[in-house]
Amino acid sequence: MRRLAARRNNDLSFDDSNTSIKLENGSSASFSINGALSSDEQKLYQNINKTKLSFYDLPPQGEITLEEFEKWAIDRLKILQEIQSCISRNKQIKEIATIIKPQLQKLLPTTSATPDAFLERKKDYYSHYILRLCFCRTKELRESFVRSETLLFKIRFNMLTTTDQTKFVQSLNLPLLQFISDEEKAQLGPQLYQTASPILQFQLNLNDEQQRKAFFARERYIKLPFENVIELVGNRQVFIKDGFAYLAQFQQLNLLASEFSNNISESLIKTFQYIPRLNEDDRLLPILTHLSSGYAVTDFDQNDGQYGDNSDNEINAESVWSPDIMKHYPLSVKYLMEGLKRNHHLRYNGRQQLSLFLKGIGLSADESLKFFAKAFTEGGNMTMEKFNKEYRYNFRHNYGLEGNRINYKPWDCRTILSKPRPGRGDYHGCPFRDWSHEKLTSELQKMNMTPSQISSVLDSCTKGEYTTANTKVFEFTHDFNGSDPDINDQTLIAHPNLYFERSRQLEKKKKEVEAKIKGTM
Amino acid sequence: MSSTKNNGPSPADMEYYYRQLYPFTDIFHWLNHSNGEATKDMTHREFAMAFRSGAYKRYNSYNSIAEFKSQIEKANPDRFEIGAIYNKPPRERDSILKSEMRALEKELVFDIDMDDYDSYRTCCTGAMVCSKCWKFITMAMMIMNITLTQDFGFKDFIWVFSGRRGAHCWISDKRARQMNDLQRRNILDYVNVVRDRSNEKRLNLMRPYHPHLLRSLDLLKPYFANVILLEQDPWANDENAFKTLLTGLHDKNLVEACRKYWTENPYRSSSQKWTDIDTLAAKEMKNTKRHAEYILKLKECKEDIILQTLYPKLDIEVTKQTIHLLKAPFCIHPATGNVCVPIIKGFEPEQAPKLLQLQQEMTENNDNVKETSLQKFIDHFETFVNQMIEHNEIEPSKKREYDDLLK
Ligand code: SF4
Ligand SMILES: [Zn+2]
Repeated sequence: MRRLAARRNNDLSFDDSNTSIKLENGSSASFSINGALSSDEQKLYQNINKTKLSFYDLPPQGEITLEEFEKWAIDRLKILQEIQSCISRNKQIKEIATIIKPQLQKLLPTTSATPDAFLERKKDYYSHYILRLCFCRTKELRESFVRSETLLFKIRFNMLTTTDQTKFVQSLNLPLLQFISDEEKAQLGPQLYQTASPILQFQLNLNDEQQRKAFFARERYIKLPFENVIELVGNRQVFIKDGFAYLAQFQQLNLLASEFSNNISESLIKTFQYIPRLNEDDRLLPILTHLSSGYAVTDFDQNDGQYGDNSDNEINAESVWSPDIMKHYPLSVKYLMEGLKRNHHLRYNGRQQLSLFLKGIGLSADESLKFFAKAFTEGGNMTMEKFNKEYRYNFRHNYGLEGNRINYKPWDCRTILSKPRPGRGDYHGCPFRDWSHEKLTSELQKMNMTPSQISSVLDSCTKGEYTTANTKVFEFTHDFNGSDPDINDQTLIAHPNLYFERSRQLEKKKKEVEAKIKGTM
Repeated sequence: MSSTKNNGPSPADMEYYYRQLYPFTDIFHWLNHSNGEATKDMTHREFAMAFRSGAYKRYNSYNSIAEFKSQIEKANPDRFEIGAIYNKPPRERDSILKSEMRALEKELVFDIDMDDYDSYRTCCTGAMVCSKCWKFITMAMMIMNITLTQDFGFKDFIWVFSGRRGAHCWISDKRARQMNDLQRRNILDYVNVVRDRSNEKRLNLMRPYHPHLLRSLDLLKPYFANVILLEQDPWANDENAFKTLLTGLHDKNLVEACRKYWTENPYRSSSQKWTDIDTLAAKEMKNTKRHAEYILKLKECKEDIILQTLYPKLDIEVTKQTIHLLKAPFCIHPATGNVCVPIIKGFEPEQAPKLLQLQQEMTENNDNVKETSLQKFIDHFETFVNQMIEHNEIEPSKKREYDDLLK
């Protein structure tokens, strides 16, 4: 990573060390710093531009910078991880769409019709291909990549207007998509309606028979070999006759999605076969390894170290101990506080993790010193002199007040998870990874979670999805009522400070709502 | 009734059978999808042999009819089974990497066993079977035949008696053979409606029924009164009625009313109980204003019960995997001595030839197979195989997707 950043300034192009990357069977794409548009490039993205969506079946065209390479990949990864975490939390596609739409608009927009559109497509296209490189290595990585990408595809398809959807489907040139004639539809009318009716009722919420009939009357049907929609056959969601399945237009997305995921699964295997050539390139590999490490990348780091709004000085050396503030801490922070209280000391990694978190919630440098001085000396084992001599520098350093004066950022979960695992007497790390299931269970019971909630959290831990476990705990201990997206942000929590902020915001909003209700009475 | 005791053939009987009677040529042509030269469909096909000792030898394959016959004769297994077509000849398996062995094709198969009907079967128990309970299997085959033909468009399939109290279906249509495991699993899900074999839970199927279920109900309904209510009469047993009839009803109060009434008046027949439900429901209905809805619900429950009792109950494991092996047609069932013959119209297990009986017939007819009771089953099988081969050849010889895998 660091090495990459250094080389970035050397104006090195990827071509000149003859490391063009095979991205797809037979065709190669190269990454370089110069940004001229070739005509192939223009053609490719203009085509995608027309349809706003793509099956990514041609390799990307044109050159990109190393910076873009990394940034674009990370942006897409954030979205895929969000989707992944939603899937693990059993969210339905509609909910997932609501959850990720704001991020999608920010990180991978496909909406604008301006000159930006070109760049947007290029970013979408490249980032998809870069992540193919990251996630082609094992069966598990491939499967989870395909699952998330397919869901992303479905969500984006649903965001298109009907005209754009039709344009896109036509652009695919799928030979299978033949609409049946009105006569054939009339002939099979009763059977087709019988099949569609429960789906319309339970999936599209058309509870009224008249509504369903009207919908059905307008619906066009596609006839295709049943193998192409085999999962709908298994659910009896299509009528089949003589080896053909009759697919209603509203079910078409199932078909596209299965085409899409088949395509990508196949390409991933091909990519995997080409990846050995990539090993020669020591600049790309670290990025790729880093990206596929499996720990969530976080988006919670825009401001320089100061996250919490502490304008009313609610956060100070005293209050960070108070139940009112403590209740918003994630488990990892609670545990650090507990360790500090018990031992009147924390080892280096624990000190860093905690002090930077507190800085993040708005504790000022002075208050921080006050807080740690008191905590360290309270037990009577340490004098103030000793504290000042040995630790003062460390805490001030974290605020950029000493040494190289870097304004250090609070650690996100990924950073926390990448530090050495805690040993005996350590309190840093992440409880979802580091604690035994027994210990976790008893802690979660204290938080009034039900056995099934607990087992769902433990499930995520077993799978190594620690931030998802963390997010589940948040959801189980904070009730979401109302659909106000401000309150009801359900994105993945991959930063302890995000946990804190969200928990606090939720409480504030609730109080406001309660106050309003009281006011009207 | 056919008994299962003391009919098991000896190793000598088996050797005689393979030498004199077993239709190796027809089986070879069937699996070869051609009656010409041996194709990869046959030479890359796995056979497994099961022996009296319990030993089971997998990954055999044969290059010609003569070799097929002589090898089976020599090994003289109790029975042998048919598996998938692989990318390499299975018998070379030891000399190639395991990871390089890939199953490419196999007939789509279904297995129906009488066991799964035991909650409603009173005429026989265990391994026994009679013409009354064989009706379950006959009805299952009827439903499957219509589904396979009308829905999936399959033409070339055959049912084979399992030798005791079940039947296997082999579908040889190219399209069926080429299905992967996911497709097999989903086809199974499509046809498999009654998943809980204890039959103690309400089916609660969605309405309106999928056309396939509606058609099945229409076909089965006419048999319900006769086969279930009169012949099998499974709910004369009050305990069984509580467990497998009342559990199918939607209204708790109605269930309680029935339970009370049948406890006070024990041993009422299944058809009395079937009408009792309506009579008691009429009383329960007085407590609700939504009469039409109540009647509709009750009707739906009764429809679900009809499907639950008579709809085909399919074995899952056999169907869902390409590599799964299944006993070859015309094998001898080791316990009964019955030949596992293809099922012809009006077939009942009684009519299955037994090996001992065939030996006698051979002696009486100068060893002429054509004069034995096996011949009509062989004829039936040959007709089927020839038809299948014809269809196979007519089909535009699409280049196989895996041609390049078969070096
Ligand atoms: S997931 Fe992150 S915030 Fe949650 S406990 Fe672990 S480290 Fe802390
Ligand atoms: Zn019987």
